[in-house]
Amino acid sequence: MDNREVLVDIKNLRTFFYTEDGVVPAVDGIDLTIHRGEVLGLVGESGCGKSVTALSILRLIPNPPGKIIGGEIFFHGEDLLKKNEEAMRMIRGDKISMIFQEPMTSLNPVYTIGNQISEAITLHQKIDDAEAKKRTIEMLHLVGIPEPERRFNQYPHEMSGGMRQRVMIAMALSSNPELLISDEATTALDVTIQAQILDLMRGLQKKLGMAILIITHNLAVVAEMAETIAIAYAGKIVESATAKEIFKSPRHPYTYGLLQSIPKFTERKTNEPLPAIEGMVPSPYHMPKGCRFNPRCPFATEKCREEEPEILELTPGHLVRCFHPIES
Amino acid sequence: MAEKAIDAKKKGQKKSSEDYTYVGMVFHRLTRHKLAMVGAFMLIFILLFVFAGPLIWRADPNAQIEGLGGMFNLPSRAHPMGTDDYGRDVLARMFFGGRISLFIGFISAISSTIVGAMVGLVAGYYGGWADNILMRFTDAMLSIPTFPLLIALASVLGKGVWQIILVIVFFGWMVDARLVRGLVLSLKEQEYVEAAHAIGASANRIMWRHLFPNTLAVLIVSTTIGIGGAIIYEASISFLGFGVQAPFASWGNMLQNAQQFIWNSPRLIIFPGLAIFLTVLGFNFFGDGLRDAIDPKLKL
Amino acid sequence: MRDYIIRRVLGMIPLILIVMIVSFGIFSLVPNPFAALIENPRIKKSDIQRLIKAWGFDLPWYLRFFKWFSGVVRGDWGPSLLYPGSTARDVISRALPVTVRVMGIEFLFALSIALPIGIISAVKQYSVTDYIVTVISFLGMSMPTFWFGLLMMMLFSVVLKRPSGMPLLPPGGIITPGLEEAPFWAKLGDRAQYLVMPVFVLAFSSVGGWARYMRSSMLEVIRQDYIRTARAKGAPEHTVINKHALRNAMIPIVTLVALSMPGIVGGAAITEHIFNIPGMGSLIIAAEIKSDYPTAMIGLLLTSILVIVFNLVADIVYAWIDPRIKYS
Repeated sequence: MDNREVLVDIKNLRTFFYTEDGVVPAVDGIDLTIHRGEVLGLVGESGCGKSVTALSILRLIPNPPGKIIGGEIFFHGEDLLKKNEEAMRMIRGDKISMIFQEPMTSLNPVYTIGNQISEAITLHQKIDDAEAKKRTIEMLHLVGIPEPERRFNQYPHEMSGGMRQRVMIAMALSSNPELLISDEATTALDVTIQAQILDLMRGLQKKLGMAILIITHNLAVVAEMAETIAIAYAGKIVESATAKEIFKSPRHPYTYGLLQSIPKFTERKTNEPLPAIEGMVPSPYHMPKGCRFNPRCPFATEKCREEEPEILELTPGHLVRCFHPIES
Repeated sequence: MAEKAIDAKKKGQKKSSEDYTYVGMVFHRLTRHKLAMVGAFMLIFILLFVFAGPLIWRADPNAQIEGLGGMFNLPSRAHPMGTDDYGRDVLARMFFGGRISLFIGFISAISSTIVGAMVGLVAGYYGGWADNILMRFTDAMLSIPTFPLLIALASVLGKGVWQIILVIVFFGWMVDARLVRGLVLSLKEQEYVEAAHAIGASANRIMWRHLFPNTLAVLIVSTTIGIGGAIIYEASISFLGFGVQAPFASWGNMLQNAQQFIWNSPRLIIFPGLAIFLTVLGFNFFGDGLRDAIDPKLKL
Repeated sequence: MRDYIIRRVLGMIPLILIVMIVSFGIFSLVPNPFAALIENPRIKKSDIQRLIKAWGFDLPWYLRFFKWFSGVVRGDWGPSLLYPGSTARDVISRALPVTVRVMGIEFLFALSIALPIGIISAVKQYSVTDYIVTVISFLGMSMPTFWFGLLMMMLFSVVLKRPSGMPLLPPGGIITPGLEEAPFWAKLGDRAQYLVMPVFVLAFSSVGGWARYMRSSMLEVIRQDYIRTARAKGAPEHTVINKHALRNAMIPIVTLVALSMPGIVGGAAITEHIFNIPGMGSLIIAAEIKSDYPTAMIGLLLTSILVIVFNLVADIVYAWIDPRIKYS
């Protein structure tokens, strides 16, 4: 069990999108707990609701068409969903920060990166511009950008994707937040740059001690970084446990399928087809009845098609949403 | 297994965006766009007015009533819109004037789009010095103030319907050229063009078969809105006396006539001008809705 | 930046050249461009002869353009048909400032209305304000300026009258006769009443188009990732809009405004004609109606150059707003 203080506690979060073509239940009853200093990985395919969860924490869901219609998000014991906009504004960028997937478009092209990072600092700390500039250069140095004084006056288009992502990280960590949310921050980068950024994040986590919520569809990323992993599917969490447990003994058929489909170098059976999970992620407009995974599940029974399974704690710390979890 | 579950759901659920064809989707979005439908109704009404009108109200637009008693009549049963300074029935002139104005507007808009599209296609596809020269020329033409140029051409080419069309096209192709060129430049980089190249398609074929259809949507919108602009140009030119000549009516030259009578017969100004205004408005509403329907995310 | 400006100025030259060729070309389509001048008994034959020689019309066609070019550049523009006794040059140099003044006022007026309402319209999308602005935009874009001018004239000069029986607003001209030597403020007040209608009529159509583009540009920008980043940083909404969104949204607007100049100059022509304002526009139109081709062509040339210079200014403003331009 985790002894650390609970930082963020998401209970039964439901965020729906009301579009012309129907209602999309993007997040439909997600529970998640993040402790102080914990690195939690949230894994799932595109469309499973992981990004929407992150945006819901900071209440950045575009309305229209989206709306958080239910649940609670406790931060230090206070429900964020009940706070007013001004209170949320003070939390964003200061206590909880977020970095996004596309470094190429996530920075404002008409202002220097120094300007943008300093802005993040002066928004939350009462220091003057000169002091903010100093701090910005320190941050640039911290994230491994060479010649930070020169780079301060550069524009985003003068930097590579990897560097821009470092700038985003510098911006996000400039006020020493308690939680950093990384929403597919490395997905759009080259594999080598990806590794560098992950190393950077790992180092910074050790140094600054913040919690990180890593959102990704890439199991390799969480294997390196995360202590705990939560697997999401079609708007719900289907399994959650320590990283070791997930990789060693996955209990949910979906997790099992994901792990099976990773090509392994050490296997010798090169003339066998790579196992993949049959079927496709369900369309959000046509969610299947019962367990949402049942159309693709090789172990599905009639019960699975009729009823939705609840979350069970199979072993301490290991939660699964399934009627027939796999034997460990 | 998966299909069965999904099919079972489908029976009795309304169509979602996944179920339409491309044209079907455009139409679906268009019919739900309020302004576009208002525009469409306006246009239908105007077209009916102009083409079916004379069948209901038969009067000769050019018949002059002799004598002072025939001029400037107020609307009456004999003349629902009154008569003008020559004693002609205004309503009848509105019908026929409308036909000419719409005709000129339509033909000019389509022609400028075609010319512009060709220039844009060639410039965008070939690039290099062809692009450079064509675009410089386009830019220069764009710098010349619209209106005086129109008049200059009109005065040089002479007066008449086909001259106006020529003039409007001569002036109007640039916008489409730039539009198409920009589009071609970005489409050119896409993989299906490379693929076509790789299997040996000729430049012509690539331009016409692959690039052009993708510009079609944008061009249709541009033409629709262009008709409105062309109608205003025609009206302006005729207003100054250069376009459609007496005794034929066009909404523009009806206004020219009426200008002097602003003090005693404002009706003569209001009717044709209103007709022009509503027609252009209709095309603009509809064209705008069309643009949104074709690609709601398109920034034109 | 300096290099950019130099490049742009150099780029103007081929444009001006092409404009001159086009002007000359149109001019040459007329069998005898000087016919109307010759027929007028009040113009000295010697003046016309001198012009014909100076412009090379006594030479074979392949030499004409260059002679004409040098004649025009030297300022030898011949006698004026509209004001026999004056040279074309005098007439034009009196008309040009009037047009510049009227257009300048109209431009600033239209811009200062169009931009704010475009922004508000975008920020409050789908609200009542948005619909009103949209409708007004369409009205402005569809209204034939000359008809609108006539309607205004009817309303403010025929229908509405002052207690004295005089029209509320004068239907034409730019100054009350006799006030040419009046002190500055009296003149200003007098001028204002003449300019109200023409400026309003012209501005109405510009505002329509510009407000609409400002709106769609803002909407486009607000959807961008970097706006989400700004909010995630904890920036207050007014900073997000006025600092982050606005500058980016202005970029295409600069291009648009520059592109609408030929239309405005053209629209000004017909408005000047209706309201009897002695500017370049009505001069060109009057010249064309009277077949005074020499003056008409020079007028066309000058107004085109005005537009080209304006485009240059627009390009510079563009580079100032968007740092990606000058650094690429």
